[in-house]
Amino acid sequence: MTDAKDLSPLEVILEKVRAKLPIQNPLHSFVHNNILMMFEGKEFHEALADAGALYRANSYWSVEKYKQKYVENKITMNDVNLGIDQYLLHYNNSETAKMLNLDLKDFYLRLMFADIAFNDDEIQPDIEDRELWEACAQKMNGQELILPQGGKKYRAKAYWEKYYNESLAASTHPYVIKLISSFLDQGQSFWSNPFVKKGFWAFFIDDVEVVRKYGTEWQKILAKKVNAYNGLPPKQIIEAELSRINIPMESWENYLLELLFDLKGWSGMVNKLETEPWQATVQAPNIKLVDFIAALILVETSLDEYHAKLHSTDLAMIYGREETISLRSFHLSLALYQIVRAFNVPIPWIEKLSSEELVTLIKNVDSSEKEHLVRLWHEAFENHFYREALSAIVSHDRSNNKVTPTDAQVLFCIDDREESIRRHLEEINPNIKTFGVVGFFGIDMKFSSLKHKRLIAQCPPVIQPSRIVREVPKNTKNAESFLKLNQLKGMSDLSLYYMSRTLVRGFLSTLILGVVSIVPMFLQVFFPKQSKGFREKFNHFVSPLPESEISLDHTDERTGYTKKEMAKIVEAIISMCGLKKEFSKLVILMGHGSTSNNNPFKQAYGCGACGGNAGVPNSRAFAKMANDPEVRIHLEAAGISIPKETYVVSGFHDTCTDEIHFFDLEFLPESYLEEFAKIRSYLQEACKLNAFERCQRFSLPRAKHDPEFAIKHVRERAEDLAQPRPEYGHSTNALAIVGLRDLTKGLFLNRRSFLLTYDWKIDPQGEILQQVILGGIPVAVNINMDYYFSCVDNDNFGCGSKLPLNLTSLLGVMTGSSSDLRIGLARQMVEIHEPIRNMTIVEAPLERVKKIFDNHGRLKKLLYNHWMRLCVFDPELNEWFIFKEHEFKKLEIDILAMKNYKTSVDLINKKTSEDDFAEIG
Amino acid sequence: MEHLFLSLLLIPFSWIVFLGLSFFARMDLPERFLSESVKWMSILTSLISLALSILVIHNGSLPISINYPAWIQVGDYDFKIRFIIDLLGSTYALLTCLLIGIIFRFSRNYLHKEEGYFRFIFLLTTLMLGLNIVSFARSLDLIFAGWELVGTASVLLIGYFYNQSQPVRHSLKAVVSYRFCDMGILAAAAWAHHYMHTTDFVEIPSLLHNIHLQESGHGGVVAMTFIGLFIIWAALAKSGQLPFSSWLPAAMEGPTPSSAIFYGALSVHLGPFLLLRFYSFFEHFPLLLWTIGIVGALSALYATAVGRTRSDAKTMLAFATISQVGIIWVEISLGFTKFALFHIVAHASLRTWQFLRSSSLIQDFFENPVVQENALIDRKLSIEKIVSRSFRRRFYVHALHGFHLDYFSGKILEGLSWPIRTYIEFEKKWMKINNSLMMFIFKKR
Repeated sequence: MTDAKDLSPLEVILEKVRAKLPIQNPLHSFVHNNILMMFEGKEFHEALADAGALYRANSYWSVEKYKQKYVENKITMNDVNLGIDQYLLHYNNSETAKMLNLDLKDFYLRLMFADIAFNDDEIQPDIEDRELWEACAQKMNGQELILPQGGKKYRAKAYWEKYYNESLAASTHPYVIKLISSFLDQGQSFWSNPFVKKGFWAFFIDDVEVVRKYGTEWQKILAKKVNAYNGLPPKQIIEAELSRINIPMESWENYLLELLFDLKGWSGMVNKLETEPWQATVQAPNIKLVDFIAALILVETSLDEYHAKLHSTDLAMIYGREETISLRSFHLSLALYQIVRAFNVPIPWIEKLSSEELVTLIKNVDSSEKEHLVRLWHEAFENHFYREALSAIVSHDRSNNKVTPTDAQVLFCIDDREESIRRHLEEINPNIKTFGVVGFFGIDMKFSSLKHKRLIAQCPPVIQPSRIVREVPKNTKNAESFLKLNQLKGMSDLSLYYMSRTLVRGFLSTLILGVVSIVPMFLQVFFPKQSKGFREKFNHFVSPLPESEISLDHTDERTGYTKKEMAKIVEAIISMCGLKKEFSKLVILMGHGSTSNNNPFKQAYGCGACGGNAGVPNSRAFAKMANDPEVRIHLEAAGISIPKETYVVSGFHDTCTDEIHFFDLEFLPESYLEEFAKIRSYLQEACKLNAFERCQRFSLPRAKHDPEFAIKHVRERAEDLAQPRPEYGHSTNALAIVGLRDLTKGLFLNRRSFLLTYDWKIDPQGEILQQVILGGIPVAVNINMDYYFSCVDNDNFGCGSKLPLNLTSLLGVMTGSSSDLRIGLARQMVEIHEPIRNMTIVEAPLERVKKIFDNHGRLKKLLYNHWMRLCVFDPELNEWFIFKEHEFKKLEIDILAMKNYKTSVDLINKKTSEDDFAEIG
Repeated sequence: MEHLFLSLLLIPFSWIVFLGLSFFARMDLPERFLSESVKWMSILTSLISLALSILVIHNGSLPISINYPAWIQVGDYDFKIRFIIDLLGSTYALLTCLLIGIIFRFSRNYLHKEEGYFRFIFLLTTLMLGLNIVSFARSLDLIFAGWELVGTASVLLIGYFYNQSQPVRHSLKAVVSYRFCDMGILAAAAWAHHYMHTTDFVEIPSLLHNIHLQESGHGGVVAMTFIGLFIIWAALAKSGQLPFSSWLPAAMEGPTPSSAIFYGALSVHLGPFLLLRFYSFFEHFPLLLWTIGIVGALSALYATAVGRTRSDAKTMLAFATISQVGIIWVEISLGFTKFALFHIVAHASLRTWQFLRSSSLIQDFFENPVVQENALIDRKLSIEKIVSRSFRRRFYVHALHGFHLDYFSGKILEGLSWPIRTYIEFEKKWMKINNSLMMFIFKKR
């Protein structure tokens, strides 16, 4: 970024505006992000208040929903108290409480259960207490409270909507969306926009020229305006327009933000493609945010002028107007009545205070206390979960875990969805040890597969991939025909896509394909699984996928890895698992990914650590590295001795179909086969049970009782064209547990926790801990926050229902025929989620943890500003700590009784309540 | 055969009645019950329509008439309720039942847990009933009944998300276009009743002979031409032909399966279906055939040009649909009626499939080996390079704005409403004069 001094005032403002726009990637490279990442510098609740205003969204569930949870006993009185305590740590000042002469805690408590609704004409409480009502009415007689609605308003939009019922969404938005979607298009339309190289501004100018003749009235004004500016660059136009409207410079930022957030998805995408052009699906067009802003301002002011003319109003009166709501004596006495009732203050108290003081009281309750209300409920709701979780983990008996021989070691991803399968696997065979490591296995590569050569970054989005790794056929001759056919198929798919939508070629392809297409449609809709099997068989028959391997050869600086680098990568992962010498004969890597069909959000279900892609290449590459004798020699030097008889197998778990695949098995020595077959059957059994557990969240009765049917059912879900919920993804995630598996082994966590393996004993310096935490926790928080926001207000933070979604420009989705580019997750993806901030639990000496969180910029912000919670179990002191009030305090917790079940399946079959935690075994 | 046909009407009808009653009885049917019932209903109707089609073909495609007692009888004049089972009707009914069956199955998962599932099922069944009536109706009056059911279901499904403003606005757009063109059917029916005492398209061609003979007596050719034009007019809106093309792309507001079945498949093809029904009438009037051909050709060219600029999956498909339907109109005008029917079936199937799969595009593109990083997908036709770059740019912008169809139709409407507006102006002035006159009189008193 250039020095702030060189920038003009407008440019400074633009940079500020830019920083607040939505940060979502195009959908093909969707990654979970804290969508409010730019607000992390603020305390959680404050940030949410700001963001809520900006996004015009609710940052929490509605109070009614929390109260419903209270009724359902999902929030207890105890939680309410704890929630208030937690909240009081940072918000401990209330004028109202003082005036009411109440203790702050007592005040908040009463506030939470008060039903206060005033300045709302529709809800009017019954007046039960006549005497009180008389007193209130008398006191409020002749009083008036004027509540300003925000500051000065420089946009006329709300004015037109309110008084003339004219909405922007109906008039200017379709026009702007048409321009921007066709300009940003990445190849969905038949004609690419001919202005792509010349730039958006040139396109806008030319377009306006056309619109002048045939447009509506406001478009004619727009054309005149653009003409009048006569080739001025967009920046100057913005300045000129803003000054013309007479907005003081300090309000420019807000004005622009409000303007851009009308179409926040498109604005965010424009910004994304300008600042990170490599994120484009195919190629970023020549567009700048200023161009877009200038167009938006011109369009808006033209519409204003048109409306002003139409309704003969004076724009000068509308720009910079101040709007107020005034409460008259009736409403005021009603408010006072409710307050007195809610806080249970005696009538004489009213007599003591002057009318003016009472009005101030009402004003405070209306503005600030209402804001506290929902936050308090939210804290209480979260506390309920935290309390249960911590109680379960603290009380979990770790001595149960006897030291047993090791049959195999299985490395899973840290993903919360792998919690259940690990549990099942351990229950099936306690001698199998499982570990949780980041699913890209530390390999920062761009990968090119045989099937589609396009380079795909197979690492977390925060890491710039340093190398290119390719999948190569073992036998080049065999592969040639496959590659040719594959290319041909790609060509024909693509041309068919374009052709079937044109005139003459569309005619021909309709006649040829039309009637035929009813067959695949019928099969895919009625028999999704079978039709997939058939397709696969057919493909295999026509051109079988040639046998391949991963080429790691270090041919140049950007390709492959040297043996030394490989050893480094392997060492990092192995030491995260706490392994030095004690390797079993088989070490199995389980990358993961997710199959789904007809799903624009496929990336959101993939492996977050692999940038939303499937973890197959990473798993294969890592196995190849770890099996390399030369690499093992290097490892020996680093103090890690992998015995000769240890073999690393590359595997893959599909979190949607619950299938497992293994790769490069032809390298597996024959003597291992029997043992491997055993482990494989355990894994398959675990998959089945995992599917069974997952089916409890779906609503097919048979799948809830029958594991055999469950596994069939989840496979069908993945292939079903019509399935908006192939899986529930990260829904309900709320925890991240860093430590040895012993900490949680034998504990049912209900797929709510990320599990990161870390052995504090072999890491005195805390270097490994740093890798584990930095690699996993920010990702977990990102996922958690993404779900949080899409869950609390799906229409404004998320992308609404999946049903009417309409894929646009190969970048994102719109709702219906034209709308803003939607951000966030769809309603069907988050419907069972509960908005709870991530709680991270670390098993490590306190000082180590402290150091890491204090020294990392983002983690520190997240922790100190309460975007996450942190709990530490110090094994040296054998003591639990919780981070509160900017420091670690000893954890005090009432242990709740936990149910005990023999196995997870036993639990599922017997489960009556919806407890998240239970002892197994 | 009669029973088979009758059951095709009665099954959806009784289902609608049942759903309606359950709604008023506040029965709140469980989703599972609904999805299971429609499953059996669609299996049943598909089998019946299949059997019907086979029987029709087996009979050598000879049409069979089914007559019911007249609906209204005034003197010796009556509105007949007569159906016809022929190749065209049974094919369309088969297409209807099959595609709706697929859509029902698709929606079972797609609309799972959805509040509006009941509404969706209800409206889709209404569509089925409407289409089956249209398929077998023998007169314009009866067609109109089915036609309206289809229109209503269509409009209500565009407004499926009725708590948002845009779907409601766009469904309004559709309803206006529909109603405007429904006037065509009504006018044609009224005129036909007046001149020929029937709207039965089996009878009309035989009557034509007489009319030709006594041209002067009956207003003859001119009247017939107008009836034909009205029928064409009626067919315009449903199939989104010019100048009623702008509502169709805007109609993509409902859940994907409803967009697929209405605007990819069944509702849009009702226009050509109506024309096919009356083909034996049209073929006597070259002027009408020319009109059909020209409208179709213009719409096809128009829609393909506009569609090429669209970058979102659904509107793009909507324009592609309009252009293919335009071609079907041209085929009809050229007399390839059988071929047009085949084209309808093929096109409806393909578009349904494409609509249902429209969410796969990102995945498809991303996994396509041809789509590489940092290379714009080359999709230009060399033929387009004949014209200059600046012309292409201008053309693109015009196409992007749909060649200003709304502007021109606005102008036309303005022209049409000229008498009304003039009258209003006049009335305003008159009121002013009147007022001052009154004031004058009252003051005097």
